Amino acid sequence: MVKKSKWIGMAVAIALCGAATGCAGSAAGAGSSGGGGGGGGSVTIGESTTLSGSIASLGQTGLQGVQLAAADINAAGGLLGKQVKVVSADDAATPATGVSNVRTMLEADHAVAMFGPVASSVAAAEEQVTNAQHIPMFFHTSNDIGLTTATYSKYVFQNVPNTVMEPRAAADYLAQQLEGKQVTIATFAPNYSFGRDTVTGFIQALKAEKVNYTLVKQEFPPLGATDISSYLAAIEAAHPQYVFNAQYGGDLVAFTKQAASYGLFAKTKVIAMYDYSVLQTLGSAAPAGAIGFDRAPYWTYDTSTMNDFVAKFRAKYGDAPSEWAILGYAAVQQWAWAVHKSGSFSGDAVSAALSGAAVPTILGDQQIRSCDHQTELSEYVGALSAKPASSTDPTHLWTSPAFEAPFDQIAYSCAQMQALQK
Amino acid sequence: MDTFVTETVSILTNAAILFIVSAGLTLVFGALRLINMAHGSLFMIGALLAASLASALGGAWGFCVAVLVAAIAVAALGTGVEVAVLRRLHQREPLAQLLATFAFVLVFADLAQRVWGSSDRSVTAPVAGRLHLAGATVPEYNLVVIGIAGLVALGLWLLLARTATGWRVRAAVEDPESLAAGGTNLPLLRTSVFALGAGLAGLAGAAIAPLESIGPGLDTQIIVAAFIVTVAGGLGSVLGAALGALVIATVESLGTLWVPAYASSAPYLVMILVLAVRPWGLFGVPER
Repeated sequence: MVKKSKWIGMAVAIALCGAATGCAGSAAGAGSSGGGGGGGGSVTIGESTTLSGSIASLGQTGLQGVQLAAADINAAGGLLGKQVKVVSADDAATPATGVSNVRTMLEADHAVAMFGPVASSVAAAEEQVTNAQHIPMFFHTSNDIGLTTATYSKYVFQNVPNTVMEPRAAADYLAQQLEGKQVTIATFAPNYSFGRDTVTGFIQALKAEKVNYTLVKQEFPPLGATDISSYLAAIEAAHPQYVFNAQYGGDLVAFTKQAASYGLFAKTKVIAMYDYSVLQTLGSAAPAGAIGFDRAPYWTYDTSTMNDFVAKFRAKYGDAPSEWAILGYAAVQQWAWAVHKSGSFSGDAVSAALSGAAVPTILGDQQIRSCDHQTELSEYVGALSAKPASSTDPTHLWTSPAFEAPFDQIAYSCAQMQALQK
Repeated sequence: MDTFVTETVSILTNAAILFIVSAGLTLVFGALRLINMAHGSLFMIGALLAASLASALGGAWGFCVAVLVAAIAVAALGTGVEVAVLRRLHQREPLAQLLATFAFVLVFADLAQRVWGSSDRSVTAPVAGRLHLAGATVPEYNLVVIGIAGLVALGLWLLLARTATGWRVRAAVEDPESLAAGGTNLPLLRTSVFALGAGLAGLAGAAIAPLESIGPGLDTQIIVAAFIVTVAGGLGSVLGAALGALVIATVESLGTLWVPAYASSAPYLVMILVLAVRPWGLFGVPER
């Protein structure tokens, strides 16, 4: 019989492996890479993103957007005569796994462009690899401002409002609602660069907007924490009138459910990333009156292009597209437009074509700023509705009209970005 | 005082879920000498099944039915896994068994994605009220979860200490050859224990559904915590699983309160400490 100590050794190794790298998820992701390559009438693009864990829904729906965009390109005849293949892998929200995935995609699959990931910490690590190999990298989910400043290169593109823009939009909305009234505010955010940067950005924006606030509590639970009652109790004890929450995905769903069980929403207005995915998961449990912000809420774009995309997405995947899917799709559109315009898949050609260009996407013509390759997007804020979206979609969206924070009001100027890039 | 009450309820709720999951894992190890890597997958499937059924049935009773059906369905799934694959590997080296259960992790992850999709799901708690104790707010559903764990503990104690089947389960750990020579159907006993362990994983997943976002990734999240509890408590010991769950939940919660920067690594430090001092775990038995 095998000695128990041997089992314990194996169990410990497995537990530590699982904790450190999410080995089950990464193995599953590696297995899903589908080959490809630059030759033989096809060209490969890669999406290394988070497909397991508490933020997996962001990565999975983002990947759906990328895959649908590639399918649409192929249905229209391909790109420079080649079919576009998408290879994907799970990074388990771990930088080392993300880097390994990207290296495999570039060296074995010969990917010519990369998309993803979810976590900014993973994005910063992957960016080093793609920069070194002159491969264009499109960040359509991770949005830390450091990605286009500290680790920026001409091969990096961010088509998502960054960690300065997003909280500024929420602060602008709040300033408009308060009209000078004094309020108490608490903050709640995952304990890593995105969460801390977003909270810092929000506080700075409140100051800039001259909001008359008192900061009564700040809590930073770990990303993916299953039990947050201690943090919630600390927030509740501080009796804030508003809570700015930078959580997202499954973490925000868990927060909402646990906060509701403590009665927090009856006393406090929560401002958080209540996007389509989160609202869809919450269903009728979505806290009416809470304030949501979203990078690309499809229901605020009343255009035939967006309506067609939503219908197509619903037909293929059964649900309306989340912001992650919409921005993933738009990122591939940007890359494809640059390839078509330059007549080349090379990173240098794609970079030159996109820098400063206005690119047609499902979000309309999107200007890509030449100083930092930030797409000039608005951020949207709105109050959660008490009613379902329609008789066929039980998701509680926002009340109309949503508040739009335009790019030039919430983004750093080029001079500010270039100062941070040095 | 209110912080003490809040922390106590939080610790007991966490410990309750960890205990139900870890009790199943440790029972399976005790009777089959098998570490089931797919135990977290069974937890996830229990949660997803409960979410679907509770949504279809609606209401508090619908949720109760969903929890029971999810636990039974996952137990049936576990039976199938044991009979179809694991039974054939019982005499093989541990690594082969471990890899087989790891393969099920991947299979179940893909299966879950195909059946339930990539979107997270949400379940409404059957009771949404709150109690006010010593100035603290206590969600009623947390007390329900603690109660379920209490019933599971009582049931396992009665089964293992007061029934002939329980005696055989314990004997299967100590001396399976003699037990078989005495006429006990060992394969059936092992299958039954595996089904019970799987059912407990499913029950825990269903019970936690109203507190969490239910979706992909639940499997890897819980299996790591369950391993830590099981190893710290002593592989094969249900009492160890209970105490281990309480210790790990306490360390997590108090770590969050006092040293938040180190809270996530605290359970691993406890496991390392236990292994250094008592390599067989708090309630395990050293090999002779």
